[in-house]
Amino acid sequence: MPEFSIDPITRIEGHLGIKLKIERSPALKNEYIVTESKVSGHMFRGFEIFLKGRDPRDAVYIVQRICGVCPTPHGMASVLALDEAFGAIPPPAAILIRNIIEGSSYLYDHLLHFYTLMGPELGILTAHLPMVPPVLGKEGIKRLNLGSHYSSNLRYIRIANEIQAIWGGKFPHVASLHPGGVTVKPTLDKISLSIARLVPLWEFIALVTMEDVKILLSRNERIKDVTENILGLRVGLENIGVGVGNFLAYGLFPEPEDYESDWLDPSKRRRSLFHSGFWSKGSFSPFDERKIREDVKNSYYDSPSGLHPSVGVTSPKKDKPGAYSWLKAPRYDGEPAEVGPLARMLVTFGRRWKVERIHPITGEDYGAVEYEVRNPNGSVLDRVVARAFNLMLIANSLFEWLLDLKNYLDKPVINYKDVPVTASGRGLWDAPRGALGHWITIKGGRIERYQCVVPSTWNWSPRDDRDVPGPGEIALTSRFKPELNAVWIPTMSVPDIANAVAPDLEIEWPAKIKGWGNILGSALTRINPKYARINMETATTREFVNSTIPLMIARSFDPCLACAVHLITPSGKELVVEVR
Amino acid sequence: MELKLTRRDFLKSMTMVGISAMLINKADILKALAQAKDYWHICWLNGASCSGCEVSFAQNADPDIVEILTSMTVGESGLPIALPDYMQVIHPTSGSLAMEFIEVWKKASEKRKILIVVGSVQNPGFCEIGGKDFRDLLIETSKVADYIIAFGSCSSFGGIPGAKGNVTGAKGVSDFLKEVGIRKTVINLPRCPGHPDSLVSTLASVMVGVIPMLDNYGRPVDFFGMNMHSELCPYRPFYDRGIFITKPGEYPTSGDGCRYKIGCKGPIAYTDCALRKWNNRVSYCLEVGAPCLSCSEKEFPDGDTSPFWKELPGLPLILNAPVEVWGSGLVAAAAAGCAIHFARKKIKKKEE
Repeated sequence: MPEFSIDPITRIEGHLGIKLKIERSPALKNEYIVTESKVSGHMFRGFEIFLKGRDPRDAVYIVQRICGVCPTPHGMASVLALDEAFGAIPPPAAILIRNIIEGSSYLYDHLLHFYTLMGPELGILTAHLPMVPPVLGKEGIKRLNLGSHYSSNLRYIRIANEIQAIWGGKFPHVASLHPGGVTVKPTLDKISLSIARLVPLWEFIALVTMEDVKILLSRNERIKDVTENILGLRVGLENIGVGVGNFLAYGLFPEPEDYESDWLDPSKRRRSLFHSGFWSKGSFSPFDERKIREDVKNSYYDSPSGLHPSVGVTSPKKDKPGAYSWLKAPRYDGEPAEVGPLARMLVTFGRRWKVERIHPITGEDYGAVEYEVRNPNGSVLDRVVARAFNLMLIANSLFEWLLDLKNYLDKPVINYKDVPVTASGRGLWDAPRGALGHWITIKGGRIERYQCVVPSTWNWSPRDDRDVPGPGEIALTSRFKPELNAVWIPTMSVPDIANAVAPDLEIEWPAKIKGWGNILGSALTRINPKYARINMETATTREFVNSTIPLMIARSFDPCLACAVHLITPSGKELVVEVR
Repeated sequence: MELKLTRRDFLKSMTMVGISAMLINKADILKALAQAKDYWHICWLNGASCSGCEVSFAQNADPDIVEILTSMTVGESGLPIALPDYMQVIHPTSGSLAMEFIEVWKKASEKRKILIVVGSVQNPGFCEIGGKDFRDLLIETSKVADYIIAFGSCSSFGGIPGAKGNVTGAKGVSDFLKEVGIRKTVINLPRCPGHPDSLVSTLASVMVGVIPMLDNYGRPVDFFGMNMHSELCPYRPFYDRGIFITKPGEYPTSGDGCRYKIGCKGPIAYTDCALRKWNNRVSYCLEVGAPCLSCSEKEFPDGDTSPFWKELPGLPLILNAPVEVWGSGLVAAAAAGCAIHFARKKIKKKEE
């Protein structure tokens, strides 16, 4: 069976490689489809090991360095775990300030993914020029709109991070989170400086990003016409990267007044902006933290399988027979579960979503945006749209939190408690990439055990004790029927496919060129002729194959390998250490 | 303003007489980039990193990243002046083609190859890129690089992955290169994450032929030459008056106070955060009531730099009295200044 690999995968966080087995499928006019995938992380740092023995408060700062793309949610999960261990319920002002910091971090993070990380493929595939990187420079932006949204997005994520910095001191790696609350004082100038930044940011999300979503949805129909031609099957972005159909979220953005009655019990969390819960095949059940287990049958560990993370043991064994991954296999109630923006939307709102776009300053109504989930098992399209809806919902709420904070200007921001001698705590939160849990045990006033189960471990988990694959593995293979998940590996180049999508697109500058693929090809090869081969890999059959679709599927989960491999060892090295 | 010397010669002459002449404002940087007529080749490698340094670099505001990537073009070509040949986090290509771009960079023209490294260097087998150990990739690229910049604390000194108790042997690039016998200057731009200004300035300076003046730790003195506590801190007057925040998040009735007692490591930190601030100069750690972690220092996150929320051990008394006593109305500015100077001398460890 032919094989090829993609290593490194760029435009994700961290070091990730994918190995794919492909075969020709009679159902898709004999085009190649993926039949097996192996995903591996290539970097190990060992956070849980060097956290041991430190002052528990150090964790809030150190765990942010697990990932510089999403440090704030790690800081939040950690500070929630410490709140619980210290017995310190934060005052309302602190809850609002934490929401403001995390909210602006979400705006940055999801925008970064929507445009910088995922945008190039989406833009190229749908011939939506503003989302393609500005390969023809400033003139190209001015004359052709080529890269206009991609570039302006960089300014808006910077502005979102300025709001984080106003309340967190700096970003990446915010400074103001402390067990029991925050250290930053709410002041009118901080509130107004934040609102001044949030207005243009809100406008970008409401009037550019949400409109881009509409364009992607309509161009998706054009893609189906193309695939019908080539594959004999109408394949759109909702038919690729189809996942496992189970979705898990821990919830985030609590309301101050419901904090004790609703938020502190993770199985409730119905009053927060995003709820906690498990959504499977259309039905919702409340989240039960005790149902989380980590299997290791197919992972390089000889520690017992099926442990809850609060008593988790990590003892690596490189030559374990049958094992193939350094990631453990987290399961919820025995099932693999997808986490992320789509999980948050399904758990909170079900399949039909609607978000308002009423300008927070002028009151002008730009019309609500509605969406009904196309594929209830998850798909590239549904994940991308869910991320945009997350953006809009959070942008709306950020205004409310900032205005609400005006009522707490002279109120305390911390419920200060000293470090306990013996205690334990859990921090259950949602990072942009999905459900994030930190578990801490304190002994003698020092960290005795620290375990994190991060979103990318849920999404990229290997097979579990029952040999059920993880959500990412399922999404990357047409293992059932290509009609249900068309992981198509074209032999056509990226410009060829672009030409098929938009053959009539024409530009007059820098020369007269017709066909989207020809335009793109000439722009890319001006930078370097090698770019003509973008996304092409050599299969073991020596054919050039196009890796765009698996790349899009992988990126649609927004993988964060620094997070997933915070404790994972690489190939080729046995690590003799036991973390309890 | 017309200079008879070209700006480049002017800057060079300043370095020759020992004046550090980094380009630290926007106008200088833009001019420098406009003068550097040819394409510069950048290879940006990630070792054991969290990608926070790339994210931080993208927060650069003056000039901002869009300006750098789109408007700084080479002559009439329309090509960006410093588009990275290889940069994992944002590269358009993946897989084998991405790896080929490292080779493109290696063969690029002499004296125009800049290697930027983020993340620390670990023992063999802990970090691989495209099937290659990061160490081998770093050796290959360092050998041909004309300039090597370590951006962030990890690549400068080992940083968080090099924390006490780590099992991967994480260290900084300069220590690693010494170990494998490559004698090259590494410009260290620590802080966690690296500050975008420090990288943009260093790049612009290097492009006009100015190598910044470095301290004993390989850090440009323009960014790391002054002590946070003694020379830059805006909360220093509270210290001198003995007004302290004693519990995180609880401010004294006077409104604010010195962060020393909640663990501020300003007295051992050589970094200009208080002046430069972060994210388009909106804030920095102390401004939100947090302590300085001294992330600019080689021993971060261990030694005297942690626990982060614990008061520094052994800051000297002022004329044998703790500073609170002096705060009760007996402030003698000269005496305080002299004692702090002493503290700085004691704490700043000159190694190497």
